[in-house]
Amino acid sequence: MYTLFSGLYKSLTEKEEFFVLILGLDNAGKTTFLEAAKAKFGEKRTKSLIPLTRKYDGKNSDKAPLVNTSKITTTVGLNIGRIDTHGIRLNFWDLGGQEELQALWDKYYAECHAVIFTVDSHDRERVSESKAAFDAMISNSNITGVPLLVLANKQDLPESMGVREVKPIFQDNDEKIGNRECMVLPTSGLTGDGVVEGIEWLIQCIQRNVVNRPTGNQDND
Amino acid sequence: MGGVMSYFRGLFGSREMRILILGLDGAGKTTLLYRLQVGEVVTTIPTIGFNVEQVTYKNLKFQVWDLGGQTSIRPYWRCYYSNTDAIIYVVDSADRDRMGISKQELVSMLEEEELKSAILVVLANKQDIEGAMSVTEVHQALGLEALKNRTFQIFKASAIQGEGLDEAMEWLSNSLQAKK
Repeated sequence: MYTLFSGLYKSLTEKEEFFVLILGLDNAGKTTFLEAAKAKFGEKRTKSLIPLTRKYDGKNSDKAPLVNTSKITTTVGLNIGRIDTHGIRLNFWDLGGQEELQALWDKYYAECHAVIFTVDSHDRERVSESKAAFDAMISNSNITGVPLLVLANKQDLPESMGVREVKPIFQDNDEKIGNRECMVLPTSGLTGDGVVEGIEWLIQCIQRNVVNRPTGNQDND
Repeated sequence: MGGVMSYFRGLFGSREMRILILGLDGAGKTTLLYRLQVGEVVTTIPTIGFNVEQVTYKNLKFQVWDLGGQTSIRPYWRCYYSNTDAIIYVVDSADRDRMGISKQELVSMLEEEELKSAILVVLANKQDIEGAMSVTEVHQALGLEALKNRTFQIFKASAIQGEGLDEAMEWLSNSLQAKK
């Protein structure tokens, strides 16, 4: 009887957990995007201690990132972010993007349920480098079929490439992308534009893909 | 009573963050501590027991514990784990032979329930020495890719020359404040 109720309670309160990997070259805006996502989905926002010195455009002022985005440094390691929304929990793994650190990405492939690949749309010189890292990533068999969101980030900067320019570059090899869901979305981690759309789209894809990639917390049951 | 006191202290000023500096013997923990506190390189001897100092960084107060790292006294680290906000794990990047031991100590430390929510900073120290391992090499040697539910960051540093410490403290104070 106890197990019945505790099991029922657990199934009612326990959230399905999914893991989302945030990849991309260094300085593409991965950590800033994560902070923006955390802010948009309201993770402990009220307790933020850091005064936000950054100028924030009016409509988003109450959704400003938790940490001062100008203080974000190069990630060499791992940033974790959690978002509870739509009755599920998303865990984000934000990894370092420097060339020597890209070798460590594949350690996370087997356990992730979605990948966010961030592209610095303003840095035309490194687009080919970004594409090479992208190709290496989608060729890995451990993430075949995992939903993929490509961010044409830094849209707030003038003269950055629009989604029309970025999209053909990253969607040119269909056979590698295969039947995984893939979308290119214009975003700005700094202003928060596109962040909500991106996450909402990912959640839908993850839930559709749940047959192929079950939740992370099944072994705890 | 203590709870009430700390509640009121929390209202009037931020709580002192508790940070542990851990790592094998000779990694440079004590040098790091005093570099942070007084900004100078002090002559150190192997620490038996601990050093504790209050370090102020940009109006934030940290209570920093530097514990002795010799094999025989490593089992006592666990006595200091409770209420720890962050761990600075110091690695001698020039000491390739003992990386494996360093990894074992790190792994067993991070398994502790009391350190579950502590933020981890790995300091790849002694970068001033020729042939020191790079951050990626340290990352791989310590098996950090197995850490999947903890925020961590590696910094290359030289406590002797004072390099990399500012970046590490900056990141640490940012992350600690975001966590609260």
